Amino acid sequence: MLNILIVGNGQCGNRILDAVNKQAFAGKNKFSKFYSQQKFKGRVETIAVNTAKNDLKELKYTKAKDRIHIPHLHGVGANRNVGKQVFLDNKDIIMRYIEEKGNFDVAFVITSASGGTGSSFTPMLIKELKERYDFPVYAIVVLPFREEGTLYLQNAAFSLRDIRESGSDGIILSDNQFLKQLGGNVQSAYDGINDMIAERILFLMDALDSEMMMVTDLGDFKTVMSGGAGIATIGFYKSSKDVPVKTAIQKSLSPAGLLFSTDVYEEASRAMVIIKGDKSYLSIDDISNEVEKLSGAIGHVFKGIIIRNGVYPQVLAVLTLESTSELEKLYSIAVEAIHQERDKKTRVETEKEIEKAFSQINGLEPQY
Amino acid sequence: MVDLKKISVFVFLAALFLMLLVGNASARVSIFNGTITEGDGYQINNYVIDVSSVFVEANTAVFKVYEGGELKKDTMIERNDSIAFDFEEGEMELRLLSVYGGVLPVAKVFITVSDYNIGNIYTSGIVDGGHEHATYSGTPVLEITKTVDKNNILVGDSIKVTIAAVNTGNDEAKDVIFTNPMQESFILEDIFVEPASTTSIDIGELKTIYVYILKATEAGTFTLKPTTATFSNNADQNFPPATSNTPKVTVEVLEIPKKTAVIEISTDVDSVSVARNDQITATVHLKNAGDAPASFVWIEIAVPEEFEYISGDDAIEIIGGVPKIYMDSFGPLQEKEFSYTLKAKTLGTYTLISKLSYEYNNDVDFENQKVSTESVTNDIYVQKGKYDDLYEQPVYIFVLPIVAIAVIGAWIYHRYKQYRF
Ligand SMILES: Nc1nc2c(ncn2[C@@H]2O[C@H](COP(=O)(O)OP(=O)(O)OP(=O)(O)O)[C@@H](O)[C@H]2O)c(=O)[nH]1
Ligand SMILES: [Mg+2]
Repeated sequence: MLNILIVGNGQCGNRILDAVNKQAFAGKNKFSKFYSQQKFKGRVETIAVNTAKNDLKELKYTKAKDRIHIPHLHGVGANRNVGKQVFLDNKDIIMRYIEEKGNFDVAFVITSASGGTGSSFTPMLIKELKERYDFPVYAIVVLPFREEGTLYLQNAAFSLRDIRESGSDGIILSDNQFLKQLGGNVQSAYDGINDMIAERILFLMDALDSEMMMVTDLGDFKTVMSGGAGIATIGFYKSSKDVPVKTAIQKSLSPAGLLFSTDVYEEASRAMVIIKGDKSYLSIDDISNEVEKLSGAIGHVFKGIIIRNGVYPQVLAVLTLESTSELEKLYSIAVEAIHQERDKKTRVETEKEIEKAFSQINGLEPQY
Repeated sequence: MVDLKKISVFVFLAALFLMLLVGNASARVSIFNGTITEGDGYQINNYVIDVSSVFVEANTAVFKVYEGGELKKDTMIERNDSIAFDFEEGEMELRLLSVYGGVLPVAKVFITVSDYNIGNIYTSGIVDGGHEHATYSGTPVLEITKTVDKNNILVGDSIKVTIAAVNTGNDEAKDVIFTNPMQESFILEDIFVEPASTTSIDIGELKTIYVYILKATEAGTFTLKPTTATFSNNADQNFPPATSNTPKVTVEVLEIPKKTAVIEISTDVDSVSVARNDQITATVHLKNAGDAPASFVWIEIAVPEEFEYISGDDAIEIIGGVPKIYMDSFGPLQEKEFSYTLKAKTLGTYTLISKLSYEYNNDVDFENQKVSTESVTNDIYVQKGKYDDLYEQPVYIFVLPIVAIAVIGAWIYHRYKQYRF
């Protein structure tokens, strides 16, 4: 049995964490927490950290005692420098909290790359964890909608670098922009994305701790995650009918199944493919064929099979990427954004000249 | 031996003497021993023995025996001969002792009776001229009638009593003495006719004896006592007293109509069946159907233990836990209603009783008349209430769901607290 720690930082991280907690309940609905119990594979501790109290209050499925409020007005306002300082000031509280939760075999830290709190807390938290413990720590990072503005883009660029340098054992990317196709208003789009991410995390945790027919375990996962450029994403497909396992595998690797835009056969370096379902649907030959096709194109592919009676085929693929054109694109717009921000700043400084004009009427009263 | 003979003679004589003394019927008693001239007769009671012819030369005589003037025997007998004939209840014997010549011839006769009580002989003697000149004695019969002019009267009224006597016998009633006893429950108010101390009533005579007025003093049916009369006939013979009829008089009391107060009481309820813990309203109706006012009117409502008195009209006071109504007076034809509400507590069949008591004066008697009565309602059925079945369930039926709800509630609250930041 694995001991798993999941920390959600900032609003985005909190909400994805809450989605994980929600899906762990049997009913997976608003009232589930009143009548059912969470069911995790292994021992799972979830912690939501935020500077904005309202964001924490909004959560519904995460126990109150597992929410840590770091008081700093109303968040850090997307300013990562402020965020970093706040983390430093409150590091002890957070670390003591985690300490009290006991020993872990693996940790996941969920955050958006672009906000203030999550993106600044996450690299620093990972660094702390790595210094104190020797379990692997993975970051699950959400990339912004590209139109969200220059501040977010620059935050994303810097926070990703910070996370990579924090000593994390890997970054799993999820891209709001890429998943935008889910549609609906922002709130329901977020909820949809969060549920997708949560479902994958739960599946993954299940896979790392299952009596699989063909075994994959935390060690395999570590190996996969250590490959490539330390950047990974997840593909997933869950059929709602008797779909050939071959199709299910292909779909999990297609854009519709991925959290981040990538050409798997081009950019992936290692993979772990976990297939779940009723024995009758799982043709070993088909599975082998598909996995061979993938490993022929990339590198090593771990495969695991979980037998669940009466379940239609489900496939989860963890893929580490050697290269990512999408990320390169992101960085190039981020650089543009940084330039824009700098220009804006100088512009604001020139605008300060206006102050001089106003200062001329200082001390005078209008005469009527 | 000589002595014995002397004793027997004495006994015989003594016996004979005794027989004479008591007039023993078996003894022959001499009535007349003497001479009777031809054409004359000898009367004994109503019998006359006429000596119709005397034949001196032949020593015979012809005798004719009449009873009440009627010829019974006509016989010629010789000297020393006798004839016998029935005399009343006894027998009479006539012996011709001798005959003599003279201006008119005479017969010497010896008359005896046997089997006869000589105390019954009231007349005995020579009748000159024979039976045609004899006076016979008869039997007066008095019929006394007592009549009243009214048979039905009221107390204080009077009746006229008339007593008359008629002699329907064949002899005059002599020395008639009437006895008219006092009459209880009546007062002798006036006397119009009163008899003399003694009187006589001729054959066929109707005599008014008494006329007087009696006043009735009390109610009842009275039989007037009979008037009696003692009397004798011409021969001073006494007869058993005559008795009058006994008229009946009914005396009634004149009623002064009395007044009454008759309070009719009835109680009805708005529903004959009521669910437990529900209420019923009962109404007591009162009406004085009499012609006198009632006073001191009390109505007491007997509420069964299985009911609870909830409320009622202002006139209903709770005295010692009992709902009561009091009215000083309740006039003739007056009507009233009182309502009250009860709550049924226990299943069953019940009646409500209203006890009424009052007094009234009947205008005749000095003291008030006291009346008490009661009215009973029809049966009232107290049935199970809507939720009674629930109350009858064992406690756990309630406790378990409550505990379950409490546990669920506590759980939901716990979860709510757990997830509320
Ligand atoms: N997928 C997903 N993205 C989210 C969600 N909420 C916010 N984001 C994204 O996260 C970014 C903003 O970061 P937040 O997590 O809101 O910011 P924060 O960490 O709370 O930091 P501050 O609010 O600036 O203190 C934007 O790019 C949003 O698109 C969410 O629920 N799901
Ligand atoms: Mg925020």
